[in-house]
Amino acid sequence: MTPSSVATPPAPEANASGWSRESGQAPPESSAGATLRRAKLGDALLGWACRLSAALIALMLISLIVVLVHSAWPAIRQFGPGFLVSSEWRANEIERPVRDAAGKLILRDGETVMETLPPAFGALPVIWGTAVSSAIALLIAVPISLSAAIFLVRVAPKLKIAGAASFLIEFLAAVPSLAFGVWALFVLAPIFQTYVGPFLYRIFEPIPGLRWMFYESVTVAGRTIERPIPLTGRDLFTGSLILAIMILPIVTSVSRDVLRAVPRTQIEGTLALGATWWQSCIAMLRYGRSGLMGAIMLGLARAAGETMAVTMVIGNNNQISPSPFAPAQTMASVLANEFGEASEGLHRAALLYVALILLTMSLIFNVIARRLVIGRLASVSH
Amino acid sequence: MNHRLISGFASVAIGAASALAGDVRLSGAGATFPAPLYTRWVSEYEKGHPSVQIDYRSIGSGGGVKAIADKTVAFGATDAPLTEKEIAAMGGTDSVVQFPAALGAVVPAYNLPGVDKPLQFTGAVLVDIYLGRISTWDDAQLQKLNPDVKLPKTPITPVFRTDGSGTTHVFTSYLGTQSAEFKGEVGVGKQVKWPLGQGGKGNEGVAAVIQQTAGAIGYIEHNYAIANKIAFGAVQNKAGKFVLATPESVSAAGDTSSAELKGNVLRADVWNAPGDGAYPISAFTYIVLYKQLENIKTPADASALLGYQRWTLGPGQKFAAEMHYAPLSEKVQAAALAALNSVTHQGKAIPAQP
Amino acid sequence: MTGSFAEFRRRTFSSIMFGLCAGGAALIISILLLVIGYLVWIGVSSLSWEFLTAVPTGDVANPGGMRHAIDGTIILVALASLVGVPIGVLAGIYLSEYPTEYAVTGPLRFIADVLTGVPSIVVGILGYELFVVPVSRWTQSTISYSGYAGAAALAFIMIPIVARTTEEMLRLVPKNYREGSLALGATRAQTIFRVVLPGAFGGVATGIMLAMGRIAGETAPLLFTALGSRLLTHNPAEPFPSLTLQIYTYATGPYPEQKRLAWAGILVLLAMLFVVNLSIRLIAARHARTRVGA
Repeated sequence: MTPSSVATPPAPEANASGWSRESGQAPPESSAGATLRRAKLGDALLGWACRLSAALIALMLISLIVVLVHSAWPAIRQFGPGFLVSSEWRANEIERPVRDAAGKLILRDGETVMETLPPAFGALPVIWGTAVSSAIALLIAVPISLSAAIFLVRVAPKLKIAGAASFLIEFLAAVPSLAFGVWALFVLAPIFQTYVGPFLYRIFEPIPGLRWMFYESVTVAGRTIERPIPLTGRDLFTGSLILAIMILPIVTSVSRDVLRAVPRTQIEGTLALGATWWQSCIAMLRYGRSGLMGAIMLGLARAAGETMAVTMVIGNNNQISPSPFAPAQTMASVLANEFGEASEGLHRAALLYVALILLTMSLIFNVIARRLVIGRLASVSH
Repeated sequence: MNHRLISGFASVAIGAASALAGDVRLSGAGATFPAPLYTRWVSEYEKGHPSVQIDYRSIGSGGGVKAIADKTVAFGATDAPLTEKEIAAMGGTDSVVQFPAALGAVVPAYNLPGVDKPLQFTGAVLVDIYLGRISTWDDAQLQKLNPDVKLPKTPITPVFRTDGSGTTHVFTSYLGTQSAEFKGEVGVGKQVKWPLGQGGKGNEGVAAVIQQTAGAIGYIEHNYAIANKIAFGAVQNKAGKFVLATPESVSAAGDTSSAELKGNVLRADVWNAPGDGAYPISAFTYIVLYKQLENIKTPADASALLGYQRWTLGPGQKFAAEMHYAPLSEKVQAAALAALNSVTHQGKAIPAQP
Repeated sequence: MTGSFAEFRRRTFSSIMFGLCAGGAALIISILLLVIGYLVWIGVSSLSWEFLTAVPTGDVANPGGMRHAIDGTIILVALASLVGVPIGVLAGIYLSEYPTEYAVTGPLRFIADVLTGVPSIVVGILGYELFVVPVSRWTQSTISYSGYAGAAALAFIMIPIVARTTEEMLRLVPKNYREGSLALGATRAQTIFRVVLPGAFGGVATGIMLAMGRIAGETAPLLFTALGSRLLTHNPAEPFPSLTLQIYTYATGPYPEQKRLAWAGILVLLAMLFVVNLSIRLIAARHARTRVGA
């Protein structure tokens, strides 16, 4: 909902509130001292109530960071920044025989020597899952969103459907992610499992360079096996696709606002110089490029933090596979899957470490997005 | 979903308890695996003992152990027996009582349209499936185990639990006995790193993935597979027999361990148990108490707690089979009762329940 | 000759791109209509009177309804709004009406913006660490998931949204309204409550409704705070049901009858959002009339 859709008088002077400290004081002739005192008290009370509420907002951000850092501390201390690049995510201890360099068991007094591997946690698989799924989602959503935004700004007003189309897109931005998730689980995933997956397999599998898309290597105890990936419809690709669908409305509506803000003279100027419709669009996109980057960043932030829909269709396996048809896990989905039952201290701390990374990432994306589209977004992003 | 279901029941128990002031109210917490059975026990027991209210919250085995160690509950429940460290934290072997309450089994459940006879598995084949070495259902090893079944060429999708659970602990412990490689690479635990496959949250998540994916195989609790009519297979036991999980075959697995069950801290791993009729992926689920019940305030509470626990080991056992868990065999019941009877209330003998 | 061919190519390319843009817009609308249409279609066929009035049974073949979850969502949203709306509105007033304190309001506005982008699962985990774990420590109880914790997590999401929309709406009230009120001898508090807030009422209410709609559809913040329950309970000190949690549980479970309930639940959720959007339009329209009349 944009401010313009709410009835308020058009007010060019509206953007600054009209008082300073002096003007806030009641005029002297306003009756007895008691009333004046009461009025002053009222002002003071309101002022402090407002300041307190505003302070709470700052406190919210501080508590978010402090609590996450504090609770994640055991994992931060143990794994440090190496957490970001380690791909081992294993909550259990492993006891196994020690082998020498040649792979032979080491014996001492006739017994095999055992070693115990402590639980290990590394965030690379979930960072990978988040990065790849967000990237694929953007790759799909951005061209569609930008073309739709151009259509909404350049064409739709002439056809008198801009209002209806915009309303629809904004309503869809309000549809909860759970609804998309359920749809993805029961409609998208089975379609992929039964039709799209096998279809893609038939087309791409014979191409020699694309074997990695349909086969996975499983390495256990130094033995690597290549096996076909079962096409289940719950994989990185389906997860990315539902993310793409979910970020379409936000990227479209913000891009539309950015493009709408491009001065008419810019477009008319290019047209006057003999540019085609498309060339004038290019000029428009170029003019609004920083704002459009902001729209894309906002979509990225949304995609990276999305939880429910992704958890339902991504397959939930903390692995790094090059194939889009292998199950994967994102930062948000590993939290939804494992946090509830993670009773062991380090495991819980590691999950909180993941939450901290996710928070940091989405804060960075949001800050960049807001820097790029200053002011325009607050009213449309939700 | 089970724990939500149980906590729901539990909140009813609280409401009722607060309405009847002066009655005994006991709380327990822990394992989700036996939670449906415990809920049944509580409701059956409360029918016969209206002055006792028992509130069991299934918050996971880890939570149950933590809760009893913190003395926030009267009894804890856990699928994995207490570790030495946990026992030490509770004051050592002399201050803890642990006994099995029932047995459960984990079954290999699958989705293979057109196959209506239970398939037969060996531990080695299950290991190979979960390590990716058997990748289609018509694999020679599987076909050899199931000569009368026409197995399809469908690829196998192994399914695992993403959340920490006793079910995963039992299943990996069993696979660990079948393959040193599995034990050394994937390991044993409530949550392990599976080299491949799809994850589902909870029994219901795994069951849903199995049902939606032709060719999927997953490990779920026996009672859950029965209640939801999910096909599951027989597993070859130590004696070389293929056994389906039934209350009898799982009880038989427990019975083989009765010689190990001595003293007041009982534990026995019954996966891969010997005996012709024993189902190999079985496990005890345990109750943990303080030996001197220092976490219990009044003698009346202590006697009610003891009364309930004795009842579960006696008349209560018949509900285990009804709920598709397995009752303790007579020898195991005797050992469990002996452990339970070593309990005192802060050193004093506990009066029998009125 | 070549020049006009280049020109022809240029024009054709432009036409193609025009088609692609129109196609993009059509694609978005049709994808989204497909999703919503499907959800509504299946939802309507799964909806029943029992769904709205019955509570869950233990029987998976005949699972009852979602009355408990509908009540749960309404209570959670009400509780969250009880906390979130006053704080959000007051904070919004501060951001808009205290321009002399810009050294504070600038960074605060930025923080509020940033907070609206925090992933909801992270809010859920904060809620767990902040409201579930400490309560469990203080009360020495084993389990402290509660409706209060869930509502707190939802309020966390709501406050920055309400604050920022309130601010934006108050800024649209012309400066001379305030000056006029002050000149007539009203205090600042009187001016804000009698002139500025009524002037922006439609916009502020819209912001609040939008925030309520947003939190009504949230699942992730409730996973580790309210936890969910299959009982009809109106006591927020207990583990608490919500429509979204119940839909999630049913949708990811194996029982076909429960899946039907999940579909119906989605429909009810969408209907709630639709009502919210409709109310927003009504409020805006009514507001416009009164303004015109005045």
